[in-house]
Amino acid sequence: MAHQADAKKSLDERGYTGALIRGDNPLKLFEKAVRDRIVDSYYWKEQCFGLNAATLLDRAVELTFIGGTYGVAQKPTPFLCLAFKLLQLTPDKEIILFYLEQEEYKYLRALAAFYIRLAWEKDADVYTTLEPYLSDSRKLKRRIREGWALTHVDEFIDDLLLKNRVCATTLPKLNPRLFLEDEDRLEPRVSALGEELEELDHDDERDSASDGEVEELPNGHANGDGRPGSDGEVVSDEEMDGD
Amino acid sequence: MADRKAGAYGAAGGDTAFRRTWDRDEYAAKAADREQKVKEEGKARYEAAAAGKKYIPRASTPPDARDTEARNARLNVADLVGKQTIVVAGAGQGKRGKSAGFYCDACDLTYKDNLQFVEHLNSKQHLVATGESGEVRRATLEDVKERFEYLKRKREDEKSREVVDLTARIEVAVEVEEREREVRRRKRNEKRRKTKDGAGVQEIKVENDGVIC
Repeated sequence: MAHQADAKKSLDERGYTGALIRGDNPLKLFEKAVRDRIVDSYYWKEQCFGLNAATLLDRAVELTFIGGTYGVAQKPTPFLCLAFKLLQLTPDKEIILFYLEQEEYKYLRALAAFYIRLAWEKDADVYTTLEPYLSDSRKLKRRIREGWALTHVDEFIDDLLLKNRVCATTLPKLNPRLFLEDEDRLEPRVSALGEELEELDHDDERDSASDGEVEELPNGHANGDGRPGSDGEVVSDEEMDGD
Repeated sequence: MADRKAGAYGAAGGDTAFRRTWDRDEYAAKAADREQKVKEEGKARYEAAAAGKKYIPRASTPPDARDTEARNARLNVADLVGKQTIVVAGAGQGKRGKSAGFYCDACDLTYKDNLQFVEHLNSKQHLVATGESGEVRRATLEDVKERFEYLKRKREDEKSREVVDLTARIEVAVEVEEREREVRRRKRNEKRRKTKDGAGVQEIKVENDGVIC
């Protein structure tokens, strides 16, 4: 079994043969403009040529930030290039899960999560696979259009599950969690906080009942499990788009 | 004729041993091979015509072509910065031949910028010239795990080699400085000995010690 060293053949307009995702060429999950920029970028030509699922690790462990495209020229980040490479390779499920489950490299985990959100076709699988990592609160550096932003692994995964545009890519449609729960395709999620969450809710209710004035928490992570609070989004939607 | 004992002029026969002998089986096999190929091509042509397509003969991948592999280091494009190169007058028409820039040994081509150069390294032309197939072996889960362990070990090794203790770092720095000083002292002494009055000569500094590379 072998695959091509670059994506030239898979991007050929005259026809595509190979693995399909949602009945289409996986590389088409990225928009045309982004695709062209990736294929033109020096990182893609130099570092992504001839990678397979094993040698991709060499590049992935050297990642130091995530993001979509940046700068006036909308240069793609190495993160995006590697995600594109993964889509070209479409490795087995076990390999992707291995990327996701390892503990050492947080950017590799983010890459695997991004790939899973893009490529897996069953909504319930995406939720059950990614949700355990909502308790991983390590920091991630994110390159935005101009400059940098700080995010966390859990925040990134939350974005993947809730937003429809992450890292210069429009994510495929994902049914909301509540919908899947109503259809009995998914069990309700048990928060990592457990009973503490209920206590927090009670506290909130008591506070608001006592003085009538709602005090906003100064930061969204005050609820402890690292998930952004409903009212305390640190990063705005426009920044998350990153392209 | 050759079987006869005597030649036309009565010379002794059997002197035709110098003639080349032919291995009939070998050539029969070759002929069969060629026939097979012609037949196959004819069939392919016929099938293409039947499907309404044009038949385009392709060179087959050589059997000894190896899989393409990922570069194991970054391309060192800053290698020639600040260096001087002699370019033979009239060398290289366009990209052909060796001249100033990034030179590809296998294809005998020179490129002026790294983007073009790396594009060339990825091109079919270069892959064929270096005997690569342009296809990459698909990695299994075991390969991935092995690679991961290797990378982890490598990182741990690098970490352990890093010295965090301040006294140890000072010791290393002092040692390095001492060595450098020793070298400088020796050079100075050598120079003093060479001149008669012992005053030493003013050193003339030339980039890269005058070697043009």
